Amino acid sequence: MTEPELHRRQLLVALASGAVAICCPRLAFAQDESLGASLESGPATGLSAHPARWWKSAGELRIECELCPNKCRVADRERGTCGVRENRDGKYYTLVYGRPCAMHIDPVEKKPFFHVLPGTTAVSLAAPGCNIQCKFCQNWEISQVRPEQVQTYAKSPESIVEAARRFGSPTVACTYSEPVVWSEYVFDIAAATKKAGLRTLMVSNGFIEPGAMNDLCGVLGAVKIDLKGMTEKFYKEQCVGKLAPVLDTLRLLVKRQIWTEIVTLVIPGLNDSEQEARELARFVKKDLGPDVPVHFTRFHPSYRLQNVPSTPVSTLTRARDVAIAEGLHYVYVGNVPGHPGNNTYCPGCKKMLIRRISMTTLENRIKSDHCPDCKRSIPGIWS
Amino acid sequence: MTIDRVRRRLLEGMLAAATMAVTGCAKGAASASPGGSAKRLKNSTKSIVARAKRDDVKDAKTGALDTVKLESMLGAAIVRATGESTPLGSFHRLFRPSDVVGIKVGTLAGPGLSPHPELVQQLVRWLIAAGVRDENIVIWDRLDNELERAGFKLNRKGSGPRCLGTNQDYDWTPVEWGAGGSCFASILVNELTALINVAVLKDHDLAGISAGLKNWYGVIHNPNKYHDSGCDPYVAHLAAYPMIKDKLRLTIIDGLVAQCHGGPARSPRWAWPLNSVMVSTDPVALDSVAWKMIEDQRQKLGLKSLTAEEREPKWIASAAKAGLGENRIDRIELVDV
Repeated sequence: MTEPELHRRQLLVALASGAVAICCPRLAFAQDESLGASLESGPATGLSAHPARWWKSAGELRIECELCPNKCRVADRERGTCGVRENRDGKYYTLVYGRPCAMHIDPVEKKPFFHVLPGTTAVSLAAPGCNIQCKFCQNWEISQVRPEQVQTYAKSPESIVEAARRFGSPTVACTYSEPVVWSEYVFDIAAATKKAGLRTLMVSNGFIEPGAMNDLCGVLGAVKIDLKGMTEKFYKEQCVGKLAPVLDTLRLLVKRQIWTEIVTLVIPGLNDSEQEARELARFVKKDLGPDVPVHFTRFHPSYRLQNVPSTPVSTLTRARDVAIAEGLHYVYVGNVPGHPGNNTYCPGCKKMLIRRISMTTLENRIKSDHCPDCKRSIPGIWS
Repeated sequence: MTIDRVRRRLLEGMLAAATMAVTGCAKGAASASPGGSAKRLKNSTKSIVARAKRDDVKDAKTGALDTVKLESMLGAAIVRATGESTPLGSFHRLFRPSDVVGIKVGTLAGPGLSPHPELVQQLVRWLIAAGVRDENIVIWDRLDNELERAGFKLNRKGSGPRCLGTNQDYDWTPVEWGAGGSCFASILVNELTALINVAVLKDHDLAGISAGLKNWYGVIHNPNKYHDSGCDPYVAHLAAYPMIKDKLRLTIIDGLVAQCHGGPARSPRWAWPLNSVMVSTDPVALDSVAWKMIEDQRQKLGLKSLTAEEREPKWIASAAKAGLGENRIDRIELVDV
């Protein structure tokens, strides 16, 4: 592997792209007036009340949600822990169907997907809500709120497809917050994009019931899962979630042959040990296969975790080295522009295949899904 | 939001959480008010919960509220709970003329199971009589539309006492409050110096009951995140957060109508005319009594107890442990007035 030569202009381009990543998503419409105008943005008239899928009656007007492993038991007029699904007279509704609160045209690498149509853009959107509570959430202003607390806009699935066409984006990404809690909207967007010859990408925590995930697999193009740590303790204390269902989701995605990439945000003192990186790599290799890309990304203080410093680059480098040593073929380092781990290398001949700075693809040498040097097949969605 | 501000809030939250972790109680639980909203009255070894009950407070046929009787009930209960001789004396002791007083009402369940506007209006009159400027009185809850549904008339910018929902107006700086972390209503963070909690008495499917302490869920931006484990210890830890605890002067339960099952939404089938107003300066004692009243009514109707349904409000004991008040029934004096 060779260190890429960083040119000043390339670095500036990359940094500019990176700046988009830290913009507050709730301001997205206002920040990008051209996109907003093209999408005919306007304030929504209020919450939606779209019938929810994946729930059952639990008697006395109660329902039990079957969307995610929280399996919330919800009384009449109450909401699940996600805050965006409400019981009304014994029937369950999603309040955020067709109500995105953020929308951008992003590089697909920002999701990050490094093996999906590199160098293209994704119409990226979020509706409010999340089913877990990561203390380090970087988009908490839209994920950890109730839909009344953030400005939303009325956007049908068809209008999202139209936006993708208009902006020449081959993909739509459901991202920023937690798409699981707006799965009905995700499903209809994905079905509409599929019908239009486009793809929908889901950027998720993977904390979802197998039934709902199976349904979504029928229409999704690719999925990125945040594997936040490799211990139940970390999930419980830092995320109010559980690890086991996330691992099950990853297994299911691979079984259903959905292109899957994994991201782990490495946080100093919490999930940054060499042992944890090794366990992650071993799980991926054994249960998912060595070709599933893994991204170790850099933490910066956020939300309720302000008292932890940013991740040293050396920690990320070590995690990557460990994962490669364990036999993974595609291991990346994120949030560190210019790191060798931004690039894709051929696992066979070790030559560089895709050269990136952060989320900007500078050069893609893959030819017909193969390494141009040793002719090894490179997994991913390349065309 | 500046980093300094974030860090300051974080530090405040960590200090509060650390205090609770180390001592098992929140600092100064009963010492913050100008006149001292002591949980126990002078010469009393028990926490006082004053209850005024009048079966004729509402017309049996029309359901019309007799506001004169209601004022009498409320005044008598406040006087007994505070140990003063008149309601005005109570308000003089509990509030400074310079206070900005927030009256937090719980209107989630809508008409029929929310505090009566007439009761709140009487509190406003006493506050003004005690010297609090009318523009420094704020009747508030989570959402405008919930207030309006419960019969309150919004007044965001007009003259006189304000009445408003927090809506999106949170102080978007997350703080730690023991087991949880949230953004608080901006008005609570930036304006209010004193609080009156006006809640209702009802069953809650997950928390067991919802009375005074649970009403504070309405001041954070993410209450739906804290319903696991029957809301324990979240209800207690939130109420122990200094921004609430140190400002709270009085807790009142509008129990003209109560509900023993099917909550927190209104369910007429399980509602009954309790025809009572209950007041205490000890929020834990008040909720302990409220729990017993719910259980008594459930027993009367042949319903299983909350304990048998595995949804007893364990957060009441946690609140006592946090130093917010008394939960031992034998150390609480329920005084009918």
